Amino acid sequence: MSLAAETTAPPAARRGGGLTGDRSVTLGLSALAALPILLFLLLPLTGILLRGFETPDGFGIGNFTETFGAERFWKLVYNSIAMSLTATLAAVGLAYFYAYALQRAKIPFKPFLRIAVLTPLFAPSLVQAQGLILLLGRNGVLNRFLGFDIDIYGFWGTAIANALYAFPYAYLILSAALAVADARLYESAEALGAGPLRIFRDVTLPATRFGLAAAIFVVFTLVMTDFGNPMVIGGDFSVLATEVYNQVIGQAQFGLGAVIGIVLLVPAILAKLIEKRISRKQHASVTAQSKPLVVKPSLRRDVAFSVYAYVVVALILSVLAIVVVASFVRLWPYNMSFTLKHYEFDVQNGTAPLWNSVGVSLATAIVGVAITGLTAIVVQKFRNPLTGPLSLLAILPAAVPGMVLGLGYVLTFNEPSNPLNVLYGSFALIVILSVYYNHAHAFLISSTSLKQIGSTFDEASTTLGGSAVTTLRKVTLPLLWPTLLGVGVFYFMRTMVSLSAVIFLVTPSTQLAAVSVLQLSDRGAVNQAAAFSVCIMAIVIACLLLVRTILWLAGAKNVTLIR
Amino acid sequence: MDLSIHDLVKRFGRITALDHVSLDVARGSFVCFLGPSGCGKTTLLRVIAGLEEADAGSIRLGEADLSSIPARARNFGVVFQSYSLFPNMTAARNVGYGLECRHWEKERTRARIAEMLDLVHLSDQAEKLPAQMSGGQQQRIALARALAPDPSALLLDEPLSALDAKVREELRIEIRAVQKRLGITTIMVTHDQEEALAMADLIVVMNKGRIEQIGTPQQLYREPASAFVADFIGRMNVLPVEAGAQGAMSFGGTPLHIDHPARDGATMLGVRPEAVSLTARDGTGANILPATVRSVSFLGNVTRVEVEPDARRETSIMVELHGTSKVPEQGEQLAISIPAEALRVLS
Repeated sequence: MSLAAETTAPPAARRGGGLTGDRSVTLGLSALAALPILLFLLLPLTGILLRGFETPDGFGIGNFTETFGAERFWKLVYNSIAMSLTATLAAVGLAYFYAYALQRAKIPFKPFLRIAVLTPLFAPSLVQAQGLILLLGRNGVLNRFLGFDIDIYGFWGTAIANALYAFPYAYLILSAALAVADARLYESAEALGAGPLRIFRDVTLPATRFGLAAAIFVVFTLVMTDFGNPMVIGGDFSVLATEVYNQVIGQAQFGLGAVIGIVLLVPAILAKLIEKRISRKQHASVTAQSKPLVVKPSLRRDVAFSVYAYVVVALILSVLAIVVVASFVRLWPYNMSFTLKHYEFDVQNGTAPLWNSVGVSLATAIVGVAITGLTAIVVQKFRNPLTGPLSLLAILPAAVPGMVLGLGYVLTFNEPSNPLNVLYGSFALIVILSVYYNHAHAFLISSTSLKQIGSTFDEASTTLGGSAVTTLRKVTLPLLWPTLLGVGVFYFMRTMVSLSAVIFLVTPSTQLAAVSVLQLSDRGAVNQAAAFSVCIMAIVIACLLLVRTILWLAGAKNVTLIR
Repeated sequence: MDLSIHDLVKRFGRITALDHVSLDVARGSFVCFLGPSGCGKTTLLRVIAGLEEADAGSIRLGEADLSSIPARARNFGVVFQSYSLFPNMTAARNVGYGLECRHWEKERTRARIAEMLDLVHLSDQAEKLPAQMSGGQQQRIALARALAPDPSALLLDEPLSALDAKVREELRIEIRAVQKRLGITTIMVTHDQEEALAMADLIVVMNKGRIEQIGTPQQLYREPASAFVADFIGRMNVLPVEAGAQGAMSFGGTPLHIDHPARDGATMLGVRPEAVSLTARDGTGANILPATVRSVSFLGNVTRVEVEPDARRETSIMVELHGTSKVPEQGEQLAISIPAEALRVLS
C-alpha cells in the first residue's frame, strides 16, 4: 500500500473538492485571470468616464452641458432611437415568424434555410448597406434598370440595412425560444376547442415572451451602436454612433466623443441587465416532465410558412448576392461586363488589409481561446471568494458595444502617460481589443461546456491518484478541445467582419479589410469595396468549412460553430 | 487495517450533514451506509474518500491519520453512481489510468489491465469507448478501474442505482463475489434496503446526519432499535401503547404481553406484518385483539390484509399472509394474534 509514503503530504494540499484545495493558489489564479480583464476592459471603460468629465479647466460636467445643450445632440438622439426602434420591430417581427416557420411548421429544405439566414454573419457588418445601395440606390438595379424612383439614403435605408444586419441575431435567440415547447399545453388547448390562432395567442406567444423580450433588447442595442451601415447608407441622416466617430476622428473632440460614448453605454448596460433577468425566467418554464411538441402536418399552414420563409431568405440573400455580382462587373452600373480586375486590388494597400485581417483574426482566435479557456477553467474548477467577481468581469463585455470599447481604447492607450501606450498603433492592441470585445460570449461557451463535463471526472481522476495538471491534460482538455476550437472559430469570424470596434484603432499601417470596405464605399469605389466584402465572406466560409471537416473527422459532431 | 472514524462533523451552511459520527470498519468487511436521501451517507463516504473535508473529527486507517492526506494520495478506489468513465479513453485506458498516475512500468500496467478486465469478465471490451458500452458494462469497468491500483479500500457511491433492475441484481452478486475474492474492505452507500440486506456484512443505518443503528442485516431486521430503522428496513406495524406498573403494556385498554424487557417510558411497540396472524374472535391465547378487515390486497404469493383493531380504530395494522391460506373479506369481523416474542419495544 502506497499510503505510508504519502502521509508526509503537506497540510496545504488538504481538501480535495476542486482540483486543488490550496486557498492561496486558487486566489492567486483568480487574481491572475482577473488582471488582464481589469487592464483591457475596465481601464478603457473608466477612461471614457474620466475623459467625459475632463475639461480645459479641470474636472467638471462642462462636456455634458455642452453636449446636452446642443440642439443637434437631441436630433441625433431622436434619430438613433427612431431608427433603432423601427429596425428592431422589423428584425424581431420577421425573425419571430421565420423561426416559427422553421420550428413549428413542416417546410422543405430546412437545413438550407437555417444556414442561409445566418450568412450575413459571415460578411462585414456594413454589407447590408452596400447591398441595399446596389439594389435600391441612385445607381441601383431598381432605379437604373426598372425605372423606379426610390430614394433609399437616410432614415429608411439605415433602418432597413440594420434590420437585415440584426436579423440573424434575433433569429438565433427566437429559434432557441421556439425550439422548446410543452406538448401537453398544446394538446389541452386543442382538446378545449381552441383554434390555431387562439393557440398561438394563448400558448405559443406567452411561452416565448421571454425570448421575444431578450431578442428586442439585444437587437436594439446592436442597431443603436452599429456604425458601418449608417455611415454608408445614411447620407445626411446622422445617428449617435456616427457622431462619435465624427467628433473623435474628424474633429479630435475626445471629451465630446466620450460623452456620447457614455450616452450609448448606459442603455446598452441597462438592456443587458434586463435581458439577463428575463433569460433567467425562461429556463424555469420547461420542466423535466414536459413532453416535446411534435409538429403535425397542416397543408395550409405549411404552404403559407414555406412561402414566407423563402421570401425572407430571398431578401437576405439578394442583398449579399448583389454585392457578389457587383464585384465581378467592370463598372457598376454603367458597364456590366464580367471582369476579375477588382480582385487585383490595385487600390490603396492592395491585398495587405485582407491579410492583416486574417492575421489579426487568427491571433485573436489563438489568444482569445487561451484567455477565455483559462478564465473558464479558473472560474469553474478553482472556486474561491474571487470567483464571483471574476465571472462577472468575464461577461461584462456583453454589455459594452464594440464602438464604445474601441473609443475607450483610444482614449486610454493613446495617452502618453499610460505605460501601455507602446501598444497604441500596433496590431497587438487591435488583437487585444478583439479578444475583449468578444470575451463574454466566448467565456460563456467554454464555461458551459466545462460545466457539462462536470466535476465527477475530476473526482474520479483525483481518487485514482491524478494531480490537477494530470487531470487537466489527460481528461479535461481532451474533452474540451472541440468546444475550444468552436470558440476559436467564433473569435475568427467575429474579428474578420467586425468594423465598429476597430474603427478607432486602425492606422494606415494597420489597415483591416472591413475598414477598407468602408473607405472604398465612401470614395465611391463600389466594385472594389464589393470585392473586398466577397473576399471576407469567402475566407470566413472557408474557415467554417475547414473546421467543420476537422470536427467531423474527429467525430465531434455536436459543436455549434455559428453563433 | 481497520478504518476508524471518530466524531466526524460536517456542515454545509446551516445544514448539518454529519452530526458527530463515529464508526469502525473491520478489515475485509463489506459495510453498507443505508438511509433516505439527505441522511448524510454520501457525505460520509466523500469525507472518507477525501473529496470533502470534515469540520471536525478524525479518520484513521490502521495507524495512519488520513485527515491531512489529500484524496489523490489516500489510495482508495472509488466508484461513482454516474459511472464517470473518462469518455475520451477506451475501457482499457480507463482501467490503466490510476496506474498511469502512479507511473507503473508499461509491461506491468498491461498485465494488470488484462487481469482487471478478466476479473469483471470484460476482456473482450478492452478497446471499446464508454459510449459504446451498456450501463452495466460501464459500471464494471469503473469497478475494475477503481481496483486496479490495489487500493486499501473500495468506496462505492450508489453504484447500482442508475442501472436496470435485472442488471442491478447481476452486478450486486458480482461486486460481492469480487469483494470476497480480493478480501478488500468495502463501503457502499445505498438507499435501497434490499440491496443493503443482500450484500452487506454490516449495515450502518443513517438518518439526519446521525447513525441510527449499526448491525448485521439479521440484527437490524429482528431487533430494530428505533421506529425509524424498523420502518426503513422491511415493514413494521407501530402500536402506540400506554405503559403501566412493572413494565405492563396496554394497547387501547387491552393488555399486551411482551417477551422483551420494556424500558421505562416506552410508548411504541413494533411488530412485523408477517408475524401477525388472523384467527377467530373466540380464539384463545395471549395478545388476541378483535379487529375488522379494512382492505385486502392479493399480491400473488403474499396477501396483505389491513385491519383496524376494535380497541383502537385509528391505528391500522398490516397483516401479511403467505401461501394459499384462506383470504378474509373486507368488513369481516375477526381477531388478530400477535406472538409475545414478535413484539419489539421501539425508541
